[in-house]
Amino acid sequence: MDTITKNKQLNNDEIFDLMKQFITEVIGEEFVEEMDITPKSSFTKDLEMDSIEIVSFSEKIKAHFGEQIDFTGWLSAMDLDQLINLNLEMIINYIHECQSSK
Amino acid sequence: MPVIKVNNRDVHIQELNKGAAETVLLIHGMFSNLSVYYFNIAPVLAEHFHVVMYDLKSHGMSERTLQGYDLHSMTDDLYALMEVLNLGQVHLAGYSFGGLIALKMAVRFPEKLRKLVLIEAPDPNDAQTRGIIDEYSREFLEHYVANFTDTTKVKMGKRQMDRNHRMYEYLFYQTSIKSDMIRESGFFNNPGIAKLEKDTLLVYGSDSNCLEAGKQLHQKISRSDLVPLAGDHNIPIQEPVMVAELVAGFFKN
Repeated sequence: MDTITKNKQLNNDEIFDLMKQFITEVIGEEFVEEMDITPKSSFTKDLEMDSIEIVSFSEKIKAHFGEQIDFTGWLSAMDLDQLINLNLEMIINYIHECQSSK
Repeated sequence: MPVIKVNNRDVHIQELNKGAAETVLLIHGMFSNLSVYYFNIAPVLAEHFHVVMYDLKSHGMSERTLQGYDLHSMTDDLYALMEVLNLGQVHLAGYSFGGLIALKMAVRFPEKLRKLVLIEAPDPNDAQTRGIIDEYSREFLEHYVANFTDTTKVKMGKRQMDRNHRMYEYLFYQTSIKSDMIRESGFFNNPGIAKLEKDTLLVYGSDSNCLEAGKQLHQKISRSDLVPLAGDHNIPIQEPVMVAELVAGFFKN
């Protein structure tokens, strides 16, 4: 099952749903219910995720997509302002680009 | 999210570039977690080294523990972690309180170290360092966030503030961290520091209150270089790439 999921190319809506699932797993359903998560939601300001939660979220992305994407490498190219302003849409676009180039 | 058992307790670790010949082990500071390295510093080091980060007890995603925050216990923890991960000799870097753990490690177990980097390690005898431990309250946290994290640009929301408050309250009122730290006030007079024979890089913010501690250590450790960078105590967050490249260059040469 895992292999099939990992190899399947996801469209942007599917990537967004997956991101929401990961966020729920990291911060808990009770907090997610109070939020309106959209592609424009930023991790730090809108979702109020702290850095160790973003680590958990990143690990989930890495575990799911494996070598398809270099998520840590992508994040490391960002400065602090970019990391603070990171939103879901940026990650969706990045994953989409990685899938398209494979 | 790799969580491993060390001495029967859960320890959260992260590793990058596992196949590399040499390992860099990174220790974060008090009330912080491994994320201080994860996003920017660790990936730069991982271009050359196997990088290991871990959350100290009761920090980040490691298990809460009531006792053992003195430097002897913290280095026992680190030694045990290295055994579990099968790490022989590592390059060791620590930030703030993590720098004190790294220094204690070099004094106690020099055979486990290649080179040593201390970033903004404070003097435990300094009144300001002790003051943080003595005067914790919710107001303190709010004041601390407002005044000391402003240079990192990260603003906490309510859920983050509550989460941090719970961790601080636990550490201050339920664990032995306060009394353990007070017992460490004479650590800089440990004769082992002056006998240290490891190449040591001391990285401090030129505007940091801890810079004096860096100068003290530079005098005591014969094979040390002191590098002040523009910034304050939050230098790894303010200038992560500069810190990472400096540390990587030191470990490589």
